[in-house]
Amino acid sequence: MPVGIVRRDAATTEFFDGTARGELLIRSCACGAFAAPQARTCPACGCELTAWAAAAGTGTVETWSIVHNRKLPPVTVAIVRLDEGPWMQTQLVGDLPDDLRDLRVRVAFEQPQGGEAVPVFGAAG
Amino acid sequence: MNAVIAGLGITEMGKVYGRTAPEFAADAVRLAVDDAGLALADVDGLLTNTGITGDVGLGLQRDLGLRDLRLLSEVQAYGSSAGAMVQYAAMAVMSGMASVVACVFADAPLKEPGAGAGAAYAGLTTTGWRGLAAASGIYSANTMYALAARRHMRTYGTTSEQLGHIAVAQRAWAALNPLAQMRDPITLADHQSSRWIAEPFHLLDCCLVSNGGVAVIVTTADRAADLNQPPVRILGWAQTHPGNDEQLGLVSGAAISGPAALKMAGATIADIDVAELYDCYTFTALLSLEDYGFCAKGEGGPFAASGALGPGGSLAVNTGGGQLSSYYMWGMTPLSEAVVQARGQGGDRQAPRNDLVLVSGNGGLLDHHSTLILSAR
Ligand SMILES: [Zn+2]
Repeated sequence: MPVGIVRRDAATTEFFDGTARGELLIRSCACGAFAAPQARTCPACGCELTAWAAAAGTGTVETWSIVHNRKLPPVTVAIVRLDEGPWMQTQLVGDLPDDLRDLRVRVAFEQPQGGEAVPVFGAAG
Repeated sequence: MNAVIAGLGITEMGKVYGRTAPEFAADAVRLAVDDAGLALADVDGLLTNTGITGDVGLGLQRDLGLRDLRLLSEVQAYGSSAGAMVQYAAMAVMSGMASVVACVFADAPLKEPGAGAGAAYAGLTTTGWRGLAAASGIYSANTMYALAARRHMRTYGTTSEQLGHIAVAQRAWAALNPLAQMRDPITLADHQSSRWIAEPFHLLDCCLVSNGGVAVIVTTADRAADLNQPPVRILGWAQTHPGNDEQLGLVSGAAISGPAALKMAGATIADIDVAELYDCYTFTALLSLEDYGFCAKGEGGPFAASGALGPGGSLAVNTGGGQLSSYYMWGMTPLSEAVVQARGQGGDRQAPRNDLVLVSGNGGLLDHHSTLILSAR
């Protein structure tokens, strides 16, 4: 299933500027920790997060669900633990094995007309 | 001095159309006041919790013609709100701030016959961070709880069949409950063959959607002594709001709010005769069983599959059928059944022992938790 349309707001401007360039931005803290893009406070040291860093774009499936809808084909969604540590709620695309436990995945971007580029993950080659 | 629940009001419930949530809320308060043997004019405190339709609030005071209230507020902690309201009401009557506090939840998400059940629960946000999750396909509670449940499965080996045992046990209880919407018995095979919603959840892992309202009246033990109903004492209470994404699906707030509430009540988990557990999904009940300590962490699946939870089992759990089979009134579903059981008014579904009743409320994505320990003894 293609991703839906999402529009930026003040909190997501830098993030979607990143996805438009093909970069997955996450938060980075002076203490060396990384955090999810929507995080405001460093989970390691409690500092306010202001800086961004480009994630490598690789990670591991932490949990997943195949969502069924009577009008649309099923969609596979997941929480991916990025190699830097933060979690991403995302959609899995492409050919996927039956058992997604601990699957290694890599980011790609899909941009529907009229919306921002959305990160999705496929099985890492 | 104890605070007590002295009245319970449950409106007509389920696919009841043509009435708004504020109307259900007003009806529920009137029913609860009548049940207690009080008059509306005795109510000097009102706490409201609105459901998804979002229109039960401070206006309920005027809808009920209540004057000079000494306590009035909207409470919102999603599925833990009912427990939270009772806690705030208990503190209010114990301090003397108010003497008779009505706590009410009502909702009317089902708008007309043929509308998809739960349609009001699937609103899309298309902006910002929440919009990003929605655009990725993650926008319903079904999906979020499915992700949580799958994580429990991959960590502890929990199976869909084990979750199914919870659905089957609760339907067996609902068959004994005249208030329940779904009373036809189901089998494990029915559970397994019901359509997928969001894997690992089948349809029969998911709660109902209901129109209706429930209210309780909280007052002091002294005030309740000569009222209509056996006073249900509020012996212990606690809340926990974990704020910890890393424990998703593995630990809920019950792990902290349970022991805290039991300590206040001077009891242990082994003393609990009846457990009314929040069950937006089968999985929520399973996780709560573990976190309260009714079984060991990771053993919720085998515990459910042992047959412990149904009528005649070793632990009376969700004796009205819960939100899976009776009615979906957020935390008022477990709370209302707890009051019925504590009073000994459960009829065919009355648990054999009812000295101490535990009530859990759970809201958000396992983000908010409340526990109450109740007793009419
Ligand atoms: Zn830091």
